[in-house]
Amino acid sequence: MKIHEKMKDGVLIISLSGKVIGGPDLMNVKTAFQNAVNQDIDSVLLDLGKVSWMDSSGLGIIVSGHTTLSRAGGALKILNATKKINELLIITKLSTIFETFSDETEALASFGE
Amino acid sequence: MRGIQIQLPSEFAVLEPLQIFIEGLGAAAGVEEDELSSLSVSVIELVKNGMEHGNGSDPGKMVTISVDSFDSRIRFFIDDEGTWAPENAPGFRPGEGEELLSTRGRGVLIARNLARWVEYGLTPEGKTRVTLIWPLN
Repeated sequence: MKIHEKMKDGVLIISLSGKVIGGPDLMNVKTAFQNAVNQDIDSVLLDLGKVSWMDSSGLGIIVSGHTTLSRAGGALKILNATKKINELLIITKLSTIFETFSDETEALASFGE
Repeated sequence: MRGIQIQLPSEFAVLEPLQIFIEGLGAAAGVEEDELSSLSVSVIELVKNGMEHGNGSDPGKMVTISVDSFDSRIRFFIDDEGTWAPENAPGFRPGEGEELLSTRGRGVLIARNLARWVEYGLTPEGKTRVTLIWPLN
């Protein structure tokens, strides 16, 4: 799994790619969320469009990010969840927690609403 | 395809090779390409549970996967070395309220929804065995 971060319109976009399968890699994602809070960034968009495989470990880290950002008064939203990831979000009812977007511009604009 | 059995130590490093192996096995048995990742997610969720709950994440303890393919279904036995009680573990239903925001406990729920046929039982030696049956179209 790889992580790429960029700022756009005041929102930190964290992009994951490859397989999100658990293990030490996931700590890097958790650290990225915590670093955002430490830098007073309260709007984070998690781009999952290039994730080829994900299981409950990935969901756990997304929930962890949501908790970290929420406690700091911020928000974590999801961009480009694949069909398989959306299926996992629905099965686990996490689809009721997260705002998901398929368009980056729309997702960025939503943080200002 | 009959009688394939693999043993894995209880450590995360084996999961990615296992995912590739399960999808290759599924493809050979006739699982549709679009369903291969759902199959591998289901099996790996149950393997991880065995590693963690059954074997206490002890790399010296093994998870054994036995696979048999029949005309219209594939059967996986996933055995660990423990005697845990899955009924008492989270993950048999979606979380509610604060439980919904737990960072853990979704593995069995996901496997049951993707595979639809997942049952817990015992090996002849009295250890935990999960049976997952995947239908072939």
